[in-house]
Amino acid sequence: MNVGQGCAAETVVRVAGSTLVAALLAACGSRPQTGGAGGNGALPVGAVIALTGNASVIGQDQRIGLELARAQFAAGSPQLDLRIEDGGSDEATATNAFRSLIRADVVALIGPSLSQQAFAVDPIADRAGIPVLGPSNTATGIPQIGPFVSRVSAPVSQVAPLSIGAALRQNPDIRRVAVFYAQDDAYSTAESKIFQKVLAGRNLKPVAVQKTSVSDTDFQNQITDTLRRSPDLIVISALPSDGGNLVRQLRELGFKGTLVAGNGMNSPNIYPICQRFCDGLLIAQAYSPEADTPSNRAFLAAYAKAHGGGVPPQFSAQAFAAYQVVAEALRSLQASRPAGTTLAALPRAELRRQLNAALLKGTYQTPLGEIRFTPEGEVVQKNFYVAQVRMNRDGRSGRFQLLPTPAAL
Amino acid sequence: MDTTLLVQMLLGALLALSVYLPLTCGQLSLATPGFYAIGGTLAALLSTKVPALAGAADPAGGAYPLGSVLLEMLLAALLCGVLADGIGRVVLRLQGIYLTIATIALVEILRVVSLNLEITGGAVGIFAIPQPFADPAGYALFAGALLALVCWLCQRLAVSRPGLAMAAIRDDAIAAASSGIPIEGWKRLAFVLSALVAAVTGVVAAHFLNAWNPRLGNFDASITTLAFVVFGGSRTWVGPVVGGLALTALPELLRPVGDLRLIVFGLVILLGPALFPQGLVTPERLSAVAARLPEPLQRRLGFRLSPAEALDPEVRP
Amino acid sequence: MEPALQFLINGLSTGAVYGLFALGYTLVFSVLGVFNFAHGAVFTLGAYLTYLLVGGAVGANGLLAGLQLPFALPFWAALPAAGLLTALVSLAVEATAFRPLRRHRAEPLLYLITSLGAGVILVNLLQLLLGAEGYSLPTTALGALPITLTIAGAQLRSVQLVLLVVAALVLVVLSLWLEGSRSGKALQAVSEDATTARLLGIDSDAMIRLGFAMSGFLAGIAGGLVGLSLSISGPYFGISYGLKALGVLVLGGMGSVSGAVLAGLIVGSAEALVPSEWSGYRDAIAYAFLFGVLLLRPQGLLGRAQSTKV
Repeated sequence: MNVGQGCAAETVVRVAGSTLVAALLAACGSRPQTGGAGGNGALPVGAVIALTGNASVIGQDQRIGLELARAQFAAGSPQLDLRIEDGGSDEATATNAFRSLIRADVVALIGPSLSQQAFAVDPIADRAGIPVLGPSNTATGIPQIGPFVSRVSAPVSQVAPLSIGAALRQNPDIRRVAVFYAQDDAYSTAESKIFQKVLAGRNLKPVAVQKTSVSDTDFQNQITDTLRRSPDLIVISALPSDGGNLVRQLRELGFKGTLVAGNGMNSPNIYPICQRFCDGLLIAQAYSPEADTPSNRAFLAAYAKAHGGGVPPQFSAQAFAAYQVVAEALRSLQASRPAGTTLAALPRAELRRQLNAALLKGTYQTPLGEIRFTPEGEVVQKNFYVAQVRMNRDGRSGRFQLLPTPAAL
Repeated sequence: MDTTLLVQMLLGALLALSVYLPLTCGQLSLATPGFYAIGGTLAALLSTKVPALAGAADPAGGAYPLGSVLLEMLLAALLCGVLADGIGRVVLRLQGIYLTIATIALVEILRVVSLNLEITGGAVGIFAIPQPFADPAGYALFAGALLALVCWLCQRLAVSRPGLAMAAIRDDAIAAASSGIPIEGWKRLAFVLSALVAAVTGVVAAHFLNAWNPRLGNFDASITTLAFVVFGGSRTWVGPVVGGLALTALPELLRPVGDLRLIVFGLVILLGPALFPQGLVTPERLSAVAARLPEPLQRRLGFRLSPAEALDPEVRP
Repeated sequence: MEPALQFLINGLSTGAVYGLFALGYTLVFSVLGVFNFAHGAVFTLGAYLTYLLVGGAVGANGLLAGLQLPFALPFWAALPAAGLLTALVSLAVEATAFRPLRRHRAEPLLYLITSLGAGVILVNLLQLLLGAEGYSLPTTALGALPITLTIAGAQLRSVQLVLLVVAALVLVVLSLWLEGSRSGKALQAVSEDATTARLLGIDSDAMIRLGFAMSGFLAGIAGGLVGLSLSISGPYFGISYGLKALGVLVLGGMGSVSGAVLAGLIVGSAEALVPSEWSGYRDAIAYAFLFGVLLLRPQGLLGRAQSTKV
């Protein structure tokens, strides 16, 4: 090797590379602060969703919902400018995303994707006086973080018990129950506590409580151990990937009883994983594509048009609803102002305060049904749904068939 | 530069130094995230469960007393120091990659255990941790001061007897042992120091992040911090600091790139090392830079950047 | 008898995957003395490639939304085909992440960083192109085989059996090759001492490339087998395998093929034996076991005790 020539070339590359890095760093420092409204008076609305990492399967559904909502509410006043940032699947990335949008002077924030992230980042928005609306945070305690924190995703304590009721209605002879939950995920852990409380209330003590991890794919050992105790009903709290695997393996290893899944598995993303074994799965839902309301019909049509058919997943519907709430609250604020003034002219902090108040007072007809908020920011959703998965013959596609729900549980 | 990112960079540099310290003896220990987790959990528990520490009225408003934070750091340091000493006696007999894997195993065990305990809150963790500073700027100053302190300690260590002994162990442990250097003791010291740095960093991080959960000290974190050290240069303490600052900032600086952000990041760490085969900062480069400083400044700083130079009577001012 | 057999088979099939995965690590480690952090990404790629080759369709979220190959191979052909492709990718990783550093005589730890970079690129490219959702191989991929077999009262998924058989075949062939063929012996020579091997006329660079290619092949088929038996739960699913496999590797003894296999079986079976009350501590027990072995017998079960010459 010709050392002399090699060294010279290398030095050039090194200097060039270091200059590039330095330039990047300098560019960061001098990033223009886009304070105030966007160029045309549009109000910036920020969204932080998981576009990378383990939760990206949720984020990509949410992005779809946000884009559809943006298109739907594009006409009308005030104009909104949606800015989506990647919150990753960990707290640090979400923190940076929130901060970046706060510096861009957003009037409201939608996100983050995971309950786990919400506990860490919502306080930041709350301290900055910015309304933050959770589209998919279902763990207990989130709206209580602060006065500016609210959510459109119903907490597990309201949704989960419905599926147990449905299971018992379908099969009143259930005596033995087993529970699986992903112990390293905040939502799964919270939901499973609710499930176990409901079961205890019905005098059904689990014969096995198996703890799994969201990154698990192989449950055969735990399934074998559980099936030896002959449960009639198995209740699962997991996300679509691990949950789908669990369902498939349970059926393949011969479980014939009833399967109830938690809200995290309420997504067509389970079809490719458990395929025809998804059939018969009972899920309580905060959103059903089969709900027949004008708002949902419009949403379904928009989704089908944008995606060449297909049925929207719950995460998309919730993200859509979040944007809708913000947009409609801003519109009602605008309408209540004297003619000729714009919201953009208000001092930003004042606008955010007013927005938060208006948001919490309103009632909204969303794809999720009719929703409003408690003063604390907790969503009050009029309808919940229980569905049973029905797979088509090819085992590739299916639907969440809505079951008739009794009035109250 | 966003202050929050600055704080994360400073914490990254601190963790990198924690991984660097055992490396000065030639030991690749990835126990740092474990001690970081212990420090963070301790701070989270103490500040949320012990009202006596809270002092004034509204903790969220930045009124958590600094004294309490310092107390937490002291307790965390004590706890982790004792643990590290005990674990060190058992684990440091292992060589090379086996030591690394043993430390990885310990960190994973700790993570799983804290996931299962009620007191740590399980997966949800502990949140609403009181804030000593209402603004990231406060954290930046605090973390910056902490980093400066640890850097100063590393520099003193590098030119002290223990530091020179560690360098000798790194170069050739058997030769060092035959020269009468008590290698077990020095290795343990490096390990304990590493644990102390990780523990106090954990305390600061817990308050900064508002919430703490067991996922914050895991295998991914060890690999990332190792990347800081190796990318920055593992022969002098300046390397891990530079690596920690730069590699924490990089994924965030790449946000304008959009969806390709992490791919570009991967490209940087794939191709970067080929340009800098010994890391960004090497003792030779540092000496070259120091030599260009004006004479009085060199004397004032009393700079000794590598142990070898410390022994050379010509170089001493 | 029945539960024991069940546990045994579960353990064996889980362990077979760990073993295959660890083998790939071993091959690179033995010739280069470093870990290839891109291994998990290549494993994931193998799973996706197998899925595409058996005719699977890509979901709606990546840049290649809706992609479906115009042909569908039977699983027996798709698996080795995917393996060959991943072998090529592994060679590319060697060329970009390892060879430039070797030429500059870089600090050995830097290989961890560059291979990590290669892994990050691969995984994120997969997500960009194919989206983040999960896939399973079609349940008809195995043709006429029934889904569940009942042997001696134990319920087995036939994919578990397939996994076992294929893994066993691969391992036997690999061991025979390593011991029996010229290039196999040359590979072993390079892993002992690269300089001496070169002096004896063995082209170390070519052997290193061979090691990487084989490691990539193994990772690819391991991924395809896991995709068959479990599922592809997204582009990140290879990462947790990496950590466990590292443990398996050390347990079995680095550089030992049979050690990797044996350790895989032990770890797989040990996981099976944890009672459900302790299921939350499964991973901790596995790592505690690994820790114990490291303290008592650091060279692993079948590794040779490392002695350094002074």
